[in-house]
Amino acid sequence: MTFSALVEGPLLWIAFLTFLIGSALRLLFFIALSTKKDKPVYRYFNFKWMMLSILRWLLPLNVDIKKNPVFTILGYIFHICLLSVPLFYSAHIALWQESRFGWSWWQMPDVWADWLTLILIAISIFFIIRRLVLAEVRIITTVSDYLLILVCALPFVTGYLNTHPDGSAYAWVTSALPLYGQYSTLIHILTGELMLILVPFTKLSHWVLFFVSRTVIGVEFGRRNYTV
Amino acid sequence: MADPRKYPEITINPESIRQAIDARMNARLKMWMRICAHCGLCADTCHFYVAKDRDPKMVPSYKAQKLKEFVKKKGQVDEAYLKEIYDIAYGDCTVCRRCTMFCPFGIDMATMVATLRGILTSQGMAPEGLKAAIKNYQETGNQMAVSEEDWVETLKWMEEELQEELPGAVIPIDKKGAKIMYTVNAREPKFYPQDIQLAAKVFHVVGEDWTFPSKVGWDDTNLAMFAGDLKTAGYIVQLIRDAAEELQVQRVVITE
Repeated sequence: MTFSALVEGPLLWIAFLTFLIGSALRLLFFIALSTKKDKPVYRYFNFKWMMLSILRWLLPLNVDIKKNPVFTILGYIFHICLLSVPLFYSAHIALWQESRFGWSWWQMPDVWADWLTLILIAISIFFIIRRLVLAEVRIITTVSDYLLILVCALPFVTGYLNTHPDGSAYAWVTSALPLYGQYSTLIHILTGELMLILVPFTKLSHWVLFFVSRTVIGVEFGRRNYTV
Repeated sequence: MADPRKYPEITINPESIRQAIDARMNARLKMWMRICAHCGLCADTCHFYVAKDRDPKMVPSYKAQKLKEFVKKKGQVDEAYLKEIYDIAYGDCTVCRRCTMFCPFGIDMATMVATLRGILTSQGMAPEGLKAAIKNYQETGNQMAVSEEDWVETLKWMEEELQEELPGAVIPIDKKGAKIMYTVNAREPKFYPQDIQLAAKVFHVVGEDWTFPSKVGWDDTNLAMFAGDLKTAGYIVQLIRDAAEELQVQRVVITE
């Protein structure tokens, strides 16, 4: 099997399955342990507090919008870019359609994908600079925090390069890394696979655990009459 | 200059620390240690951070993530490390939970710090005042070791004084089926018995049907909770509940 067949075949399966099963296991591990050691969560469980707590913080309806408007709004935009481009970019959907699944769904205009990609890259750079500059953030920042910003941004950087082979950025990268041109698609796929594989093992697992944590604290604060 | 801070005596037993950690690790704490994105939104929500001139070491996430660091060490710690954790757990956090109200994930950093306290307390490392109070709760059911005899005598004495001003006023003891069981801070019978008299005056004037338990369950303070000693903290609350059930009251009222 060639390297490219490996990356586009088995490794892709491994990445998606690690991501999906790993995330599901995170949830199952929580449920398994919490039913034994976190009984108050179940005793006081309340659907209203759960939904309020999740929606208030999933949507920009919370106190941080007022306290840190710039960082918070950029955070929301970052997440929108991170989720929407991989899901709705036309070439990705074309691949799903070609695949054994034959799936297809709404696709965004390519010019949107271009802009959302550039915005995500810009916000990633801002996040890194912010971690370096602000003392209160620097002290809690770990090496993995920097690396994970990179891991999230790389599929977008390579995606943008590969879809703009006439651009100056592409010329600059291929002159610095002569092999890039030859493997550009593979590298793009690899960066995506890396991100998916890392999700269950890092703080990126918050894509699932966010909902659990908000539920837990929604129940805890709700029953004490605090703001959830 | 010598360090002016006083620390409780420390004996390090890695196995015992490991067990104390294992017993306290629940699904919530594990999740919170994992998902904290280190975004820093909690920083300026902390009164320590603001009061100490934006000292980065006062960032709530920094303090809470000490739990993660502590757990990872699996009991392999030295005295200096335990002192550092002790200073953070007691000196840099009041466990007020304000940071959680601004955390996008709702991470309960106060509970994480309280868990640090609990682990230290399990190793005998707690402020002397709290240690003494915990011992008193366990032995007498109240934090000041007021005996049942002293307690009842104090109530009788206050009732007599009250009657000089308000003839007919009473301080009911163990009155079954009363509407309210009133509970106090053990400091009141010990140092400020007049407070009890004042409360009784209010109850009398509004015609409330109330009572005190004579034995245990009348001290509503819970200093064991501040030391993260959840076992004793639970015991204290249980005493109050048991007294309320025995007296068949409708509600428990706690002192200011």
